[in-house]
Amino acid sequence: MASVVKSIIDGVKEKGLGGFFRHLKNEGYLRCLPDGNLLQTKIHNIGATLVGVDKFGNKYYEKTENTQYGRHRWVEYAEKTRYNASQVPAEWHGWLHFITDHTGDEVKFVCFLNLFPWKYHMLRKYKPHYNICNEFVLQLLLLKPKRYGVEHKENLSGHGEEFIYHSKGHALNPGQRNWTRYQPWQSTNEP
Amino acid sequence: MLARLAANRLNQIRQTFRQPARAFSTALNYHLDSPDNNPNLPWEFNDANKAKVKEILSHYPTNYKQSAVIPLLDLAQQQHGGWLPVSAMNAVAKVIEVAPIRVYEVATFYSMFNRSKVGKYHLLVCGTTPCMIRGSREIEEALLKHLGVKRNEVTQDGFFSVGEMECMGCCVNAPMITVADYSNGSEGYTYNYYEDVTPEKVVEIVEKLRKGEKPPHGTQNPQRIRSGPAGGNTTLLSDPKPPPCRDLDAC
Amino acid sequence: MGLGLLASKAIRPTTRLINFQNPNNLFLRTIVSKPELRNPEPAAAQPEQPLVDLSPRTPVGGARVHFPNPDDAIEVFVDGFPVKIPKGFSVLQACEVAGVDIPRFCYHSRLSIAGNCRMCLVEVEKSPKPVASCAMPALPGMKIKTDTPVAKKAREGVMEFLLMNHPLDCPICDQGGECDLQDQSMAFGSDRGRFTEMKRSVVDKNLGPLVKTVMTRCIQCTRCVRFASEVAGVQDLGMLGRGSGEEIGTYVEKLMTSELSGNVIDICPVGALTSKPFAFKARNWELKNTETIDVTDAVGSNIRIDSRGPEVMRIVPRLNEDINEEWISDKTRFCYDGLKRQRLNDPMIRGPDGRFKPVNWREALSVVAEVAHQVKPEEIVGISGKLSDAESMIVLKDFLNRLGSNNVWGEGIGVNTNADLRSGYIMNTSIAGLEKADAFLLVGTQPRVEAAMVNARIRKTVTVNQAKVGYIGPATDFNYDNQHLGTGPQTLIDIAEGRHPFSKIISNAKHPVIIVGGGIFERKDQDAIFAAVETIAKQGNVVRSDWNGLNVLLLHAAQAAALDLGLVPQSENSLESAKFVYLMGADDTNLDKIPKDAFVVYQGHHGDKSVYRANVILPAAAFSEKEGIYENTEGCTQQTWPAVPTVGDSRDDWKIIRALSEVAEVRLPYDTIGGVRARLRTVAPNLVQIDEREPAALPSSLRPTFTQKMDPTPFGVAVENFYMTDAITRASKIMAQCSAMLLKK
Repeated sequence: MASVVKSIIDGVKEKGLGGFFRHLKNEGYLRCLPDGNLLQTKIHNIGATLVGVDKFGNKYYEKTENTQYGRHRWVEYAEKTRYNASQVPAEWHGWLHFITDHTGDEVKFVCFLNLFPWKYHMLRKYKPHYNICNEFVLQLLLLKPKRYGVEHKENLSGHGEEFIYHSKGHALNPGQRNWTRYQPWQSTNEP
Repeated sequence: MLARLAANRLNQIRQTFRQPARAFSTALNYHLDSPDNNPNLPWEFNDANKAKVKEILSHYPTNYKQSAVIPLLDLAQQQHGGWLPVSAMNAVAKVIEVAPIRVYEVATFYSMFNRSKVGKYHLLVCGTTPCMIRGSREIEEALLKHLGVKRNEVTQDGFFSVGEMECMGCCVNAPMITVADYSNGSEGYTYNYYEDVTPEKVVEIVEKLRKGEKPPHGTQNPQRIRSGPAGGNTTLLSDPKPPPCRDLDAC
Repeated sequence: MGLGLLASKAIRPTTRLINFQNPNNLFLRTIVSKPELRNPEPAAAQPEQPLVDLSPRTPVGGARVHFPNPDDAIEVFVDGFPVKIPKGFSVLQACEVAGVDIPRFCYHSRLSIAGNCRMCLVEVEKSPKPVASCAMPALPGMKIKTDTPVAKKAREGVMEFLLMNHPLDCPICDQGGECDLQDQSMAFGSDRGRFTEMKRSVVDKNLGPLVKTVMTRCIQCTRCVRFASEVAGVQDLGMLGRGSGEEIGTYVEKLMTSELSGNVIDICPVGALTSKPFAFKARNWELKNTETIDVTDAVGSNIRIDSRGPEVMRIVPRLNEDINEEWISDKTRFCYDGLKRQRLNDPMIRGPDGRFKPVNWREALSVVAEVAHQVKPEEIVGISGKLSDAESMIVLKDFLNRLGSNNVWGEGIGVNTNADLRSGYIMNTSIAGLEKADAFLLVGTQPRVEAAMVNARIRKTVTVNQAKVGYIGPATDFNYDNQHLGTGPQTLIDIAEGRHPFSKIISNAKHPVIIVGGGIFERKDQDAIFAAVETIAKQGNVVRSDWNGLNVLLLHAAQAAALDLGLVPQSENSLESAKFVYLMGADDTNLDKIPKDAFVVYQGHHGDKSVYRANVILPAAAFSEKEGIYENTEGCTQQTWPAVPTVGDSRDDWKIIRALSEVAEVRLPYDTIGGVRARLRTVAPNLVQIDEREPAALPSSLRPTFTQKMDPTPFGVAVENFYMTDAITRASKIMAQCSAMLLKK
């Protein structure tokens, strides 16, 4: 409780009163009144550690002590009015659902050890002040989608025909294939 | 600390991939062209060998010339310094009037037909059980260490290569090696056993061969005569007793 | 539980006391024993007579058993069933006659026996161990048992061994669903294996653009090796190495250039050798099979088109003992992707700017009919193509005759071709009859590229009968021993006059065969050449009452029917004075002679060569889309069936001409295909007897005399590129790849 009051006073000091209220609105505190879920999330945020933020702006929190098991990791969505679970991208999904402990913002180090010809992978949390030895080459590969991966899109069912997924042969699929199984004759215009 | 962890993990990885150096003289069952081994290189039996070829072919019926494939391949191998290039196999196929693939089948079946380069002296160490329990592994290690090569690899000067062989019948004189001498072509081809060797003795033999001498073959243990026991026979000291009745008709 | 209770009830009298004591009888169980069961050796006392079903059995696959010497038949017992077989049969064949199918991998009825897979092991009485039935000759009175525990255990063991080194590729293997290994392991294998080591893997070999190899899957049955050396005649493949490290390969980097190389795909029981163009395209259960005839050459091989929806996915051979046995050539097998490229799908009219404009049928037909009426009858010419069926040819001839013209001929038929005597242009020894021959004289024909299946049959005869082959023509590759006698008609004259040593071989042979190539029809002196050939035939007693060895090997599928229907050109210069030319699929005629202002109609299915000269294009159906009658070079009439629907707006050939005749007001009298066939029957009744071979009635010596000099130019090559011979193969990408990579330069 004391920390809450302290953070309010600090916020007001930094941004001024108007700025503070704008900040409140942006953060979604205004939406807490009609939306009880958001209020619960905000209350749960007190005392929790912010583990990371993803590219959409969703904030991921973790509170290990004094919390019921199963409620110790959660997400606060960026879009405070229309949020749904499909907005969580793949890299954070595993962490959020307690499948793995690797968070979505981990970094792959690729080491080129001079003595050995094989590359050697290690996963470490991104630490900005990491000591780079001359044997290691740091490469920030924020788990980029592989060649076949597409960018994460939330589930848009119900949003209308032009947004939802249609299979290849569906009439409303924008990229229709040519289904004719033969190639008609094309003249090469030679006599 | 990281480097130590990395090194440990790396060793683990290496261990799973480490194969015993088991490159066989049979090598690959398919041919890869290289500058000194491709079908466009001409190859022929030399004149002395042409006479030998005729003699070999005379052992077999004229309509079954293909039975002579193994002796002819052996002769070609001796002529070419211990190994068979593809063009030699094609030449043999022409002699016995058979499609080349049939000759390739025979050559890949038998491991004594080397289809990749061997040294002038191809040292073959017997690795079967009787020799093994008498220390053939140490013999092989000594040879490999001394020559600085791996199995079936030829030394830099092209003189020696080491291979493993099956049992050659000298179990009484185990361990043993045999030296296939390809340094003088098919006329000077010898295939001699050096038995009762020790790791030091085998190195001696190698050095003698390198100088061009011919170390005495057979048992290298001076106290034995051929496969007899060291120190002379303890049984069979006299001539065998004659049969009870020499005159079989009278008995 | 229930049975023991029932049995006990049967033995003990049920008394009310017991019922009262134990109201719930379900839980009262008694041990039942009978005096027979107390017997310590029941089995020995009464040997069980196995119930043998003695009703007549049909041989496996509906095969017919041929007894070369009926008094040499022997009787063996297969699972107790007595069966009569000819003398040289193996145990496996005896079981097949008895209707018992024995699993096998390396045995193939048309290849030599290898006996290395050991899957065919059966138990034979009085034999200490199970016997490889494919290799063991059946002896009289043998008792063969195929369903005993010994045989079953043997099969399970062999299956286990085969699967030990076999990769787990079923989901990605093309042979899944039609794999012998899958089927036989389900039927005869055990449910689990005990192999826990590392499996071996083998490097893939490059055998060309047609055969895809995944040699890890190979089970070393050596069927492909035996096929390549025995049937195809090229000794390319061999088994290299020994033990579990054996690999099938060519050792050196060599492509399989044989024209029968695609058949190893059918022969391989596992997915080691599969079809490269068909790789990963379809599973066999999605495909609809249609049994039709191949038209890429004159042999008329029986094929089965596997299609999925509107698309032909692959072509697979059908068994026909008389024509193609179980093989088809590469061109037949892989030309199907030409059916999907460069197809004509709409009627088109060439506009004044020279470009084609798609129109509808009404307009196209009316334009053609209009021009047909503006032209004088003797200026109308019709040419039918290589792939035309008999119905469309007769309809074309009828139509043009009604317009007043008799200038209709089939492609490749020269002016002086004598189409009156059938024996002068078909293969009088049928293709199956070639197997009896013991001397061949090939005149100006290269059977390996012209008719690959006939060549396979000749090779079979040469190997089995040690037949001698003499060849007159340009130097070519043969896959059997032959003597190259000469290159031109001069050699023919030499043989005819008995000067050549080969004439003695012909006269000494019991069944000599002379094969004249269809390329002769294009020569001007064809009559002279035929006369020379007939002289040779007379001297060598080639044509007799019981044996007719004088054959002509035709080049395309439509030639025999065209000659039967009389589509012979009347004069040499009909094309030069033509004003209206109707090309029905004719892509290989020389169109330079047609004058610039002639009106050319092209009716066909591919935009190949003749389309560029056409003024109107009428799209027709290809052989896989229509029901048509084709006659092969030996005179056997066969019918294609439609496997896929026609492309775009195209129609059947004969229907187009029938519609055209209606628009042109010379309406033809038939409306259905039955009507067309009735018309066919009046002209050439043998063309309606489907699947029957009609031998020629009159010998060719009745030919009228001629006044032609023999032209000394040597014989040419009729088929230059085996892979690109007609419209379909020229449009095919696979054939283009083959001709780039596999032709012998």
